[in-house]
Amino acid sequence: MKKYSLWSAVFIVSVTLSQQSMAAGDPKKGKDVFAEECGDCHSATPGKNKKGPSLFGAIGRKAGAVPDFSGYSEAMKQSDITWSADKVDSYIAQPRKVVPGGKMKYDGLDDLAARADVIAYLSSLK
Amino acid sequence: MRASSAKWPGIAGGLGLRIVGKILCVTALLGLSASVANAVPSYARQTGSDCVSCHVGGYGPQLTPYGMNFKLGGYTDTDGKDMKIPLSAMLVANWTRTSKDVAEADKLEYFGTNNNAAVQEVSLFLAGRMTDNIGTFIQSTYSGVEKKWALDQVDMRFARSLKLGDKDATLGLSLNNNPTLTDPFNTLAQWRFPYVSSDFNAGFGPTPLMENLGGSVAGANAYMLFDKNFYAELGLYDTLSTTGLNMINAGDAGKFKGVGTYWRLAYVKDMKRDNFNIGLVGFNAKVQPDRSDLGTANDYRDLGIDAAYQFLGNREHIFTVNASYMKEWQTLNYTYSNLAEADNLKNSLNQFRLAGSYHYNQTWGATAGIFDTRGSTDSLLYGSSLNGRPNTSGYILQGDWTPWGKEDSWGAPFANVRLGVQYTGYNRFMGGSSYIDGDGNERRATDNNTVMLFLWTSI
Repeated sequence: MKKYSLWSAVFIVSVTLSQQSMAAGDPKKGKDVFAEECGDCHSATPGKNKKGPSLFGAIGRKAGAVPDFSGYSEAMKQSDITWSADKVDSYIAQPRKVVPGGKMKYDGLDDLAARADVIAYLSSLK
Repeated sequence: MRASSAKWPGIAGGLGLRIVGKILCVTALLGLSASVANAVPSYARQTGSDCVSCHVGGYGPQLTPYGMNFKLGGYTDTDGKDMKIPLSAMLVANWTRTSKDVAEADKLEYFGTNNNAAVQEVSLFLAGRMTDNIGTFIQSTYSGVEKKWALDQVDMRFARSLKLGDKDATLGLSLNNNPTLTDPFNTLAQWRFPYVSSDFNAGFGPTPLMENLGGSVAGANAYMLFDKNFYAELGLYDTLSTTGLNMINAGDAGKFKGVGTYWRLAYVKDMKRDNFNIGLVGFNAKVQPDRSDLGTANDYRDLGIDAAYQFLGNREHIFTVNASYMKEWQTLNYTYSNLAEADNLKNSLNQFRLAGSYHYNQTWGATAGIFDTRGSTDSLLYGSSLNGRPNTSGYILQGDWTPWGKEDSWGAPFANVRLGVQYTGYNRFMGGSSYIDGDGNERRATDNNTVMLFLWTSI
């Protein structure tokens, strides 16, 4: 019981730290990350689609759901993903692993803090 | 845009047009160089992207990695919406003041010896996606200086992306009319700084053959970008017939004996925040300058190395550096042996270019560049030179303002304009600090120093 409690505590701390690292994202820094990594293909303006769909309101949105964007791959449309912060984090870390067959020509962002920042920025777009 | 189409005062007058026509039409007269092609708003409308996505400073032609990939992808990327019309238009107007009035024999027809204002160029573009894999960049230009129309730039591409092993690759084919037009980087003749210059400028001295064929040749180039990092291109060119040249109002570079061969290798690395590329380029051709006297050809071999770096960051502060060095080996079989209009059978030409730029907020830009061309001593070939050398060097400074071209800009993506001032200063011109102008008088290199105010707009 004591051992179980210890592992539970480690698990809880790990999850908490993980969530904190996501939550610690800085939207101001995230705006810069967005400009560097995403802005050529995506806009943060509502209804403004480029090669990729607008990312305004992306957090919490269903994948492939921007109504007037017709460039989605079948893989993306069929993915049944809802873009939670965690899912976005996984996706922008390894796009082709999360959506095999997707169109996005992006190798991924390794920097955990930068991902948290850009997710914080996307979350702030309301 | 006939950015480098200024004539050479000394050459035109010193040895006379006969030599110019026989020899320098191939290697030196910059007037043959087709125009600089630039920002094309129809691409922005097609992709939904802003000018700043593809171009440093919000106006062409200096490409970002996104712009390079758009070009290599055959101009076919889209925002998925149909009914995009692949048409654009461009206008360049300028006012040019030279330090000292040019010689009467050297002034451009229809204009004065100094303080000239001109609508230098009006262009129409057929530029955009034709099918999923085919796109075009075709520019037709009316020169308000030469008072004539010409088919200016042609680049029709087929491209497709595929996997080679587990690596991404883009394969493409280009049909074009200018050896460096196809290049995706910002260092070779067609795409390097200065991106606009005055037709009333004295020019930058002799340039390698590769840079002087625009419009007068037709080429087929195959290219590949492998694993996003390795770029290779091979092109074969032939000169157009006289009838073909007349149809499109292109200059005559003579007739190739065999085909001209263009090749390009480069390594490019895009780290998003910044990027760099380094490469090699070459062009070989045998040219028969006089179409009525075929058989013996001048032989030109060009070899160059180039490198570039861009810091893009969050696009608020952008820095770029572009550099190139090119050497040309000339074997003037026709000019030396048949015409006796060169001192040497073999000559060489060395050209160095360097430019650095800073842009603030994709709106305010400052660019400084240097040019330095050196070559063999040949008094017959370079008749306007006092020491027989073609050496020409100096610097270019430019400041510009590009108010639009951003996502939230007024009139986007239709309204685009750049206003600027450019100063060209000469240390040497045709050999040294002085040369012989078209009237036969000695003229200082610094007399050619030029200020240009320009307005450059496109829709």
